[in-house]
Order: sequence, then C-alpha cells, then structure tokens
Amino acid sequence: MPVLSLAEALNNALKEQMRKDDRIVVLGEDVGRRGGVFLITEGLIDEFGPERVIDTPLSEAAIFGVAAGMAIYGLKPIAEVQFFDFAFGGFDQIVSQIAKLRYRSGGQFKVPMILRGPVAGGIRGGMYHSQSPESYYIHTAGLKVIVPAFPYDAKGLLISSIKADDPIIFMEPKSIYRTIKQEVPEGEYTIPIGEARVVREGDDVLFISYGAMVHRALQAADQLSNENISVEVIDLRTLLPLDIQTILKSVRKIGRVIIIHEAPKTLGFGAEISALIAEKAIDFLKGPILRITGQDTPFPLAHEHYYLPTVKRIVNAAKYLINY
Amino acid sequence: MSYLQILNERGEVNEALLKGIDLKGEDFFKMYKYMLTTRFLDGWLMRLQRMGKAAIHAPNEGQEAIAVGTSYAAKPEDWFFPVYRELGILITKGVKIKDIINRWIANKDDILKGHEFALYGFKEFHIVPGTTPVAAHIPAAVGFAHAAKIKKDKIVVLVYFGDGATSKGDFHEAMNWAGVFKLPVFFICQNNQYAISLPATKQTASETFAIKGVAYGIKNMRVDGNDILAVYKSAKEAIESARNYEPVFIEYVTYRLGSHTTSDDPKRYRSEDEVNFWRSKDPIIRFKSFLISQGILTEEEDKTLRDEIQKNIEEEVKKAIELPPPPIEAIFKDVYSDMPWHLKEEMEAVVKEYKENQGE
Amino acid sequence: MVEKQLILPDIGEGISEGEIIRWLVKEGDYVKQFQPIVEVLTVKVNVEIPSPYNGKITKILAKEKEVVRVGTPIALIEVEGVIEEKVKERKAEALPQPTVQSPEQKQAKPTTEILATPAVRRLARELGVDLSLVKGTGPGGRITEDDVRNFAKVQQTVEKAKVVIKEREERIPISGIRRLIAEKMSLANTKAAMVTHMDETDVTELVKIREILKDEAEKSGIKLTYLPFIIKAVIYALKKYPKFNAGIDDDKKELVIKKYYNIGIATATDQGLIVPVIKDADTKNLFELAKEIETLSEKARQGKLSIEEVTGSSFSITNVGPLGGTYATPILNYPDVAILGVLKIKKRPWVVGDKIEIRDIMTLALTFDHRVIDGAEAAIFMNEIISILEKPYKLFAL
Repeated sequence: MPVLSLAEALNNALKEQMRKDDRIVVLGEDVGRRGGVFLITEGLIDEFGPERVIDTPLSEAAIFGVAAGMAIYGLKPIAEVQFFDFAFGGFDQIVSQIAKLRYRSGGQFKVPMILRGPVAGGIRGGMYHSQSPESYYIHTAGLKVIVPAFPYDAKGLLISSIKADDPIIFMEPKSIYRTIKQEVPEGEYTIPIGEARVVREGDDVLFISYGAMVHRALQAADQLSNENISVEVIDLRTLLPLDIQTILKSVRKIGRVIIIHEAPKTLGFGAEISALIAEKAIDFLKGPILRITGQDTPFPLAHEHYYLPTVKRIVNAAKYLINY
Repeated sequence: MSYLQILNERGEVNEALLKGIDLKGEDFFKMYKYMLTTRFLDGWLMRLQRMGKAAIHAPNEGQEAIAVGTSYAAKPEDWFFPVYRELGILITKGVKIKDIINRWIANKDDILKGHEFALYGFKEFHIVPGTTPVAAHIPAAVGFAHAAKIKKDKIVVLVYFGDGATSKGDFHEAMNWAGVFKLPVFFICQNNQYAISLPATKQTASETFAIKGVAYGIKNMRVDGNDILAVYKSAKEAIESARNYEPVFIEYVTYRLGSHTTSDDPKRYRSEDEVNFWRSKDPIIRFKSFLISQGILTEEEDKTLRDEIQKNIEEEVKKAIELPPPPIEAIFKDVYSDMPWHLKEEMEAVVKEYKENQGE
Repeated sequence: MVEKQLILPDIGEGISEGEIIRWLVKEGDYVKQFQPIVEVLTVKVNVEIPSPYNGKITKILAKEKEVVRVGTPIALIEVEGVIEEKVKERKAEALPQPTVQSPEQKQAKPTTEILATPAVRRLARELGVDLSLVKGTGPGGRITEDDVRNFAKVQQTVEKAKVVIKEREERIPISGIRRLIAEKMSLANTKAAMVTHMDETDVTELVKIREILKDEAEKSGIKLTYLPFIIKAVIYALKKYPKFNAGIDDDKKELVIKKYYNIGIATATDQGLIVPVIKDADTKNLFELAKEIETLSEKARQGKLSIEEVTGSSFSITNVGPLGGTYATPILNYPDVAILGVLKIKKRPWVVGDKIEIRDIMTLALTFDHRVIDGAEAAIFMNEIISILEKPYKLFAL
C-alpha cells in the first residue's frame, strides 16, 4: 500500500475522482500549469485539460461565485483558495450566496461544491499565511467544515466531500502537508462527514483537537504517559456538523477536558465545544473545561512558537486538572 | 456611444428598424399584456405591503419593458438571474399569478417556504433567486454559463442588475471572468437613474454605464429601456451573440417611477417635475399608442383587457391573503441536504414553544 | 355583521409607530377591500393604508395628528359575513419570554463557599449528602469524592439512631381547619378579657311547649330542638341590650354595635368546632330557624360551608351540653363581645314556692369581653334571657 503525505493523498483523491466523474472541475489561482502553490493539484491539467483544470484571474469573489454557479448548473466544482487568509476577498460570495442558496430558494437549488485550501500556522508564514479562520465558517449556517489531520483521513474526507450535496469548506493544515506520512489505500473509500475519531485511548484526561494540533496533543499525551497520566485524544475531523456523541462518551468516562486549537481563544471553536459539554455533561466534570489555543492577536512572525499551543502548556494544563 | 430607439415617447416608430424585428401582431399584443400585468400586479403587491401582508416591495413601475422585452427574446432553454425589479420576467415566462402573490406574502404555499423577502426563484421557469447584497449574484450567473460552456450546452444566461451594482467588486470580477473565458452571458444593466437616492451621474465617472464593457473586452450597447421594441431587438441580438460565446453588456436607460422600496420616500431626494418628465416616457403608454396605430388593439379591447387583468389579480389576492403562514418547521428546512443533530434539537424546542402558544 | 378593529399594520423596516395625517374616509362611509382609507406618516415614508375588508366605517378611533403605535386599532369597521380571525399568530409574537434550555436546578442552596466540582456534587446528591455540612480536604478547601463518601458513611449511622427515637412518639401535624381554629382560639384569648357569667334556669314550661310543637314540626320534615327557642329568647334580650350584639374593632379601638342579628351556631365537626351563621335570625320564625340550623349543621359536617356562611356573626350560641357537663366557660367567637353557652337540660330537685319538685333545669354560661361589658350588665342581660326561657309565653306579649 502506498505511503503518502497529506498533500499526496489529496492529489491522489483528486486524480482518481476526476477520472470517475466528469462533472468535477478544479479552479483556482495557479492550480493548472503550476499545479497549485502547494502542488496539491499537480499533474491534473496534463491529464484532464484546461477546461476542467482552470487557471483563474486573481479574483477570489469570482472564483467562489463562479464555482457556485457551476454547482448550481450541476457540475462538481472544487475551488482552491491559495491561502484561506485570502478568502475574505470573496467572503460575501461564501456567506450571502453559497451558504444561503438552498435555503433562499426553498430547496429548489443547491450548491454542491468544495472550497479547499491551506490554513493554520507553524511555517513562519506571518500574518497572512497562518490564520485559522474556521470559526467564521462554522458560524455560517449552510456550510459544512472539515479539517483533516492525517493523510488517510484527508483522502477519505475529500472523496466524501465530493459526493456530498452541500457546500464544504475543506481546510488543510499546511504545516503537516508533507511532514506526516501514512498508508493510504488506492481506490475509492469514504470517511463519513460529521464523525470524529478517538486516535488514542486513555482514562485520566481528554484532549479534543483538530488539524495540526492533533499531533501536538499526541506528543503531549506521550509525555504525560511517562508520568503515569493516561490521556485520550479525539480528532474531530469534521467541525460542523460536530460529532457530539463521541465527545460526550469520552467526557462521561474521563471528566477532565482540554480543547486544543490554533485559532485564537475568543470565540474559537473551543468555546462552542466547552458550552456544549457544560450543557450536556456538567455532572461528569471533575474540573473546569480548559482551552489551549492561539493568542487573541493577529498572527505574529516572531515568537510563533509562543503564539501557538505548546506541548508544555498542554502538559501543564493536564496536570492542573489531575490535581484539581 | 450609440443609443438604440425604435419607438419614441410620442408613439412614433422608426419604420426601417421596425421591419428588422421578427415579431407579429400577436407577439406585440402579448408583450403589451405582459407589461400591463406586470404594472398592475406591481400595484397590488404595493398594496399588500401597505396592508402589512407582504414584508416589503420594490416597485417595478416604469421598468416593465426591460424585463418583458429581454425575457420575450430568450429561448426556453435559457436561464435568468434577476434581483428584485424584474417582475416582468416571471409574467413573461408564465409563472402563475398566485405563485407570485404567495411568494410575496410568504404564506404556506410560498415556493421559497417563507425563507426570504423580495427575492424569487422558480426552477421550473429557469429563474435563480438573487441576493440582497448588490451584485453578489453576478459571479454565480457567470459560473453557470461557464459550466454550460464546459458541457457544450448552448444556453444563454441573462443576468440583471442596476446602475448601482456596477460599482461593486463582484460586478467587475464577474465581467472580467466572462470576457476572459468568452462565456454565454448577457449582462443586463437597468439604469433607472437611481440607486436608492444616489443619482446615476454620481455613481460613476464613466461617460455611460455601457462603456464599462470595454474594460473587459465585452461587446456593449446603450438602449432606450422604455422602448420595448428596442429592448426586444437588442436583446435578441445580444442573446444570439452570447450563445456563440461572445458575451454582451447592454445598458438599458429607464427611470424608476416609484420608490426604491416601500420603506423609501423619494420625495426627499427628487422633484415631482423630474418624475412627471419621465412619466411621459412611460413604456406602456407609448406601446399602447403603437398597438392602436398598428390596428392591433382598440380602446375598447384595451379597457376589457385591463379590467380582466385586474379582476384576475384581485381574485388571486383575496385567496392568497387567507392562507396561513408556512408550518413552523419550515424555518429549519433546506439549510443542508440533511438535518444535523443540533438543528433537530433546536427545531424540537421551537416547535414545542410554538405549539404551546397555539394552544392558548 | 361583525364589528372588527382596523389596526395600524406592520409596514416593516423596524417602523413602530406612525402619525395619522389624513383620513380619506369618514364615519358611516362604505369602503371596499383594498381601498385606501388613511394617510400615515412614518419615520421613513408617507403611506396610504388600504382597508382589509369590505364594510362600513363605524368609528374613527385615531384622530388626525395623533401618533399611533403599530398594532393599535385606528378605526372600527362593520364587516359583512363571518370572517375567521387568525389572532393566534399575533398573540405568539406578543410573548417575549425566551426559552431557557437549561435543566432544572436540583441544589436548593448553592453558596459560593462550597467548593466542589460538578462530579462531586452529583455524587453528593446521589448519596443524599448536604455539602454545606461536609469539610473539604482538597486543595483550597475543596470537597473531594472521598470527603463525600466518608460523610455518607457517618450519616448512615446517625440516621439509624433517629429511627429508634421516632418509634416512641407519634407526631401529628396541626394543619388545615384545626390550625385555623387554633389560631382563632388563641386570638380570642390574647385580645379579649374573657369572663363567664353562669346561671341556671327552670325550663319546664319550655320543655312542654317544645313537646307539643315537636310533632307539628316533624310533619313539615323539620327537627325541632331547643336551639330555635333559645335564639328567640336571645334576640329579645339583644334588642333590649344592643351592646351585646356587637364586635370590637381592635385596630380602630371601636365597639361596633350591629343593627342586624346574625346568630352564630357553634357546631362540632370531625375537623373541629365550626361556627355557621344564621343571617337576620330576627326575621325568621321558629320552624325556619330550626330548618336553617339543620341545613347549616349538615353542611358544616360535610365541610361544604362557604365563607359567607361562616362570617358576619353579631352574637353566637354554643350548645355545649349534649354530651353532659354541668358548667362551662366558652371562648368568644372573636371579635364578637359575647357568646352564650347552653348545657344539657337535666331533671333536678328544685324549690318551687315552698315545696321541692322535680323540674327541668338548664345551665347557661355567658362569656363576655370585660373590656366593654361589666359583670352587672352581663347579669342583667342573662336575666332577660332567663325570664323568657322560664316563661316562654311572654314572647306573645312582648
């Protein structure tokens, strides 16, 4: 079985699916001849031609809006935003058109498209190449939001997204595009949208995370196991709709919860998860729900290490809960 | 910049140009009927808003020729991306009066299930609902045309917007894209001289709106929007051009005789004199005299026609206002293709509260 | 024909009120559905409002220049036919309460001083432990799971001990009517200065009369006791000495002499002593009194008396004696100033003239409020009653 990185797994998924389904069209800046700035779409234009792999003008609003129009027509467009930091230029298209058309038309029209691209930090990308803006999209009714943390998941989730009937915001953590490799099967398989995964079982503390921070959480868990603290780690995979059952099952078992994400603390997704846990499982809490997150500042260039959640911070938080 | 006019405000027709139009007497009659229906229905929708039955209405008064003329020139396979001042498209394409009224009142038979006001979409008639943020619908119109081109499907997309929309980024990005990819799009700019209170002369420094096509390599034209013959002829040509992958941008010059919407008071920013001046250019008045002079219509037939249209609309209004609102569950439908657990939870709580209130 | 209200409709965009500029119709005009009837100025626009019905304007409610809130009636219209009003939708909008989705609170008194995590609190609930009694051994004085479990063990031992004590006593709560009676008795005792004047009366003549009238009464289905006779005698005395037909208003410090004669008849029931009142007893004859006494007593025993029927007495009588007893000291039916207790009639040897005869003797006990009535007055009042009871035929003459 091939061992692929996250980027390779995505590329693989795109190739296989575009062969099967001629409704799939890829569009974005530099996705064709250049193969995308992270090479996610490498080789596609050679196989499928410029009609299905479109190098677009520099125009996020047009890319997103045109993709929406294609989806309304009946194609399966996969629009790439070069960095999700630039998506705000077409944000109105996402919020006012893409998210709302099904509702606004009373169900007559739908927008089955994917908006995919790199998010998050850890590559010294500075202010406009490192943001984690998932909260804006989670908060917009009509969109589904997916963040894979593993190559195997990335391919399965992308294929599910292609088959989905709703607009999907597919956010790829750029810091792990190439650093994690895993066995990824050839051929089609899907991972259900809205399903989280317990990537590590434990009894003393629960870490809930997504994207690149899942790996940081696992690192922290390893360190804690050396001190006889057993940690369970959940990888959410889909942010909206949230797999609340998996979360609650672990919370009831363990009672000590830490949510870890790169996005800033205030109104980061951890806030929503905390509220849901407090609402539905408060009697099982052995201490406060903690969030280890990015800082509430624009993303800095210097000291990126301290802006983001650190293993040390996570480990200390876990110990705090144990001794509470 | 040239300016196409075939029938002027005094009802005088340019015979040479008239010959070039491929329509018969019965077509003219139909277009006239559609304009009248649009005008009268528009009045009723205003009234419904004043009665508190419809949430809002953006009057179409004065602009009927554009919506009717362009949609009449389209083929059945073509698609429409309007906003909220194109009621004439619905009438011309054959949407039932009752469906339109139910939409405005947002009652239980509303095809949009009460999800929004002022906008409308009817898949059966190839009409995609617009957005309230101005010009935000244009990129999707272009995308739809792009998809059709990829699939070698020879349809044309007619997308409508006003003078104000041409200042929005979405408009420029979409025009640019259509020009680059040579898409089958007919861009229809209804220059009704106002974007709420801002006169068109203050909207742009360009000489005209039509000229903006030049920037994107798109063919452009300027036409008297109150002359339905000119509208039809120019639209027919534009649609055929677009069908052959040469997009067209036409500025139709007209005037918004009514207010921006039912919440607007135009007396605050324009004079009665100005309005009256444009009333003399009313598309329906001049077309009526044209029909009479062509022997297609008599005064008596006109009166009968008007009474009949009014009566039909009134009957439908009376029925429509008796219908209850959509079921409470409707506000939770069509957010996604399925209903995730958190929406189910919220829906159950709201339905319970609603039922308790009903039980009082 | 139905008269309906025309209200100022919600014309959207957050407009909450409008000023009536000009009525386009007047009272008495017939209007058609959709016809514009009034011009209204709002913050944003000047609008003409159409009529929702065919009908006749019967009344204009909002005047020109008046500012009216959305939803307020501005005119009345008489509408032909019956039209169903869907008012419910509007009602629903008027209810502002947000739904609170949080579960019920089970802890009665959450204090900021009790430090315990939710999981520990749940354990405490399950074990029936009151956290305010537990000492926390965790960091910062926090109550731990072990603290709760240990406390529960101790609690169990204490509970067992309590059960043993309980078995040697029985506790019955004082509640309901009993409680009210208790409160009233207590009140009479604290407020009034009660003294009881007692005397005996030879009612042999009365017994004979009652014997004769008893059969007569039975024919009308009435049970004739001595009570109606006593009431008659009492009323005669009350008319002569109105001070006894009174109540004391302690707040205003006033003696309230009543001009009506409402006689309370104290009745024993399962619940306790209840005093139904015969209103305007002076207007009723013997048989009527007897019947009403029966009715009220039955109702009292069944607990079916209304408030009306147990209030407003001006004087009360309590039949102490059916079960026996020689003397009694009844408590006042506060705030009445007097109550007459009647004991069982007994055959006794009595001095009549110079001889000893067996006569029917009834003891009476008059309790009065000494704050307003003196012993001498009480004696005179009592004598008056006795004089009638001993020679009942006197009532004919008086």
